[in-house]
Amino acid sequence: MNLLLRGAAIAAVLHITPVVVLVKRPDAVQTLLPGADSYVAREVHLSDPDAHRLHGLVDWSPDDGVLTFYRGKAGGTDVGALTFARVDTPHGPIEVAVGFTPQGAVRGVVVTKATVEMKPWVLEAVGAGLVERYRGLKPGDVPAGAAALAEHTGKLAVYVAGEVDKGVARALAAYGAFYNHVRA
Amino acid sequence: MLYDLRRADLPIKWLVTCLLATLGISYVFGALMVSLYAGFTPERVAATYGGRAMPMPMPPETTMVMEHAMSMAEFARPEVHEVDTNLLIQDTHVHVPMYGVIAAALSLVVAGLSLSQGWAVALITLLFSAPWLDFAGMWLTKFVSGRFAPVTLIGGWAMGLGYVAVAALAIQQMWFRTRGVDR
Repeated sequence: MNLLLRGAAIAAVLHITPVVVLVKRPDAVQTLLPGADSYVAREVHLSDPDAHRLHGLVDWSPDDGVLTFYRGKAGGTDVGALTFARVDTPHGPIEVAVGFTPQGAVRGVVVTKATVEMKPWVLEAVGAGLVERYRGLKPGDVPAGAAALAEHTGKLAVYVAGEVDKGVARALAAYGAFYNHVRA
Repeated sequence: MLYDLRRADLPIKWLVTCLLATLGISYVFGALMVSLYAGFTPERVAATYGGRAMPMPMPPETTMVMEHAMSMAEFARPEVHEVDTNLLIQDTHVHVPMYGVIAAALSLVVAGLSLSQGWAVALITLLFSAPWLDFAGMWLTKFVSGRFAPVTLIGGWAMGLGYVAVAALAIQQMWFRTRGVDR
């Protein structure tokens, strides 16, 4: 019986809480591609060598082998692009939207999804200015949101900032290597 | 038999009733959660565990780009909740032990019911095999074919059926059946 109770307790502790939407995708798109009135989805189907190359850069490549970027235009003018990056953590998945200017720098980052458990950590990290730390980064730069928050927030907010760092790093690597370097 | 819920003291009957009520609440919310994330149709289950139909059967020899126009409405379209292999490993690791504990608790109730041994064994088998089917269906859907999605649905409904059967029999025998019972 003791074993059963311990098993139940461990299962309860490890249970991953449901995913919640923190910011709806259309809202993230409007924030990161301001003024855009038309959008094009650019799906990059990676060859095995390119998938391995990306994996070598950020220890990740997409499960289905496809990177998806969304390009926005206002009239005929390029507004930039964005991509959604998902990071699987022991506490469940987290999703970040990373927007780029037409010059290829990070315009902004929005945490769009987390789990019920992680939501307060995300809100604390974002409230402490996490996403502002990524503005202006370019492919090749290393996101350091967690390090910037270390002195100002609780440990769990710093932890979640580290996971957001991973998402931003993946988006930067994918954008830098494949957004403009493969012809449609 | 010494362990007979019909003749059990009031605190034991109340304990079993509270256990069944608590499990019933968790099952109702479990069903609501399934409706939110995986759905109750083979198509939605296949999409959840099998993933999107692969746009290409194999990775291309050289990286390729496909473009298509998007509307804002498409960004707003509800996404299919996809369970990838890592998440399925985690789900299996977390849920199967808990389902085992629940099946064991319900089986202990079955053991205290006035049933033939055949029916008792059948009910206990149903209680344990339902979650096995549920997760077997998820793994088969992911790695063999989306045609196995109904196995997950059958497993889920079988879990519900097992619970309802045990709860109905237990409540009826503990609280409503008085004929032929020595008190």
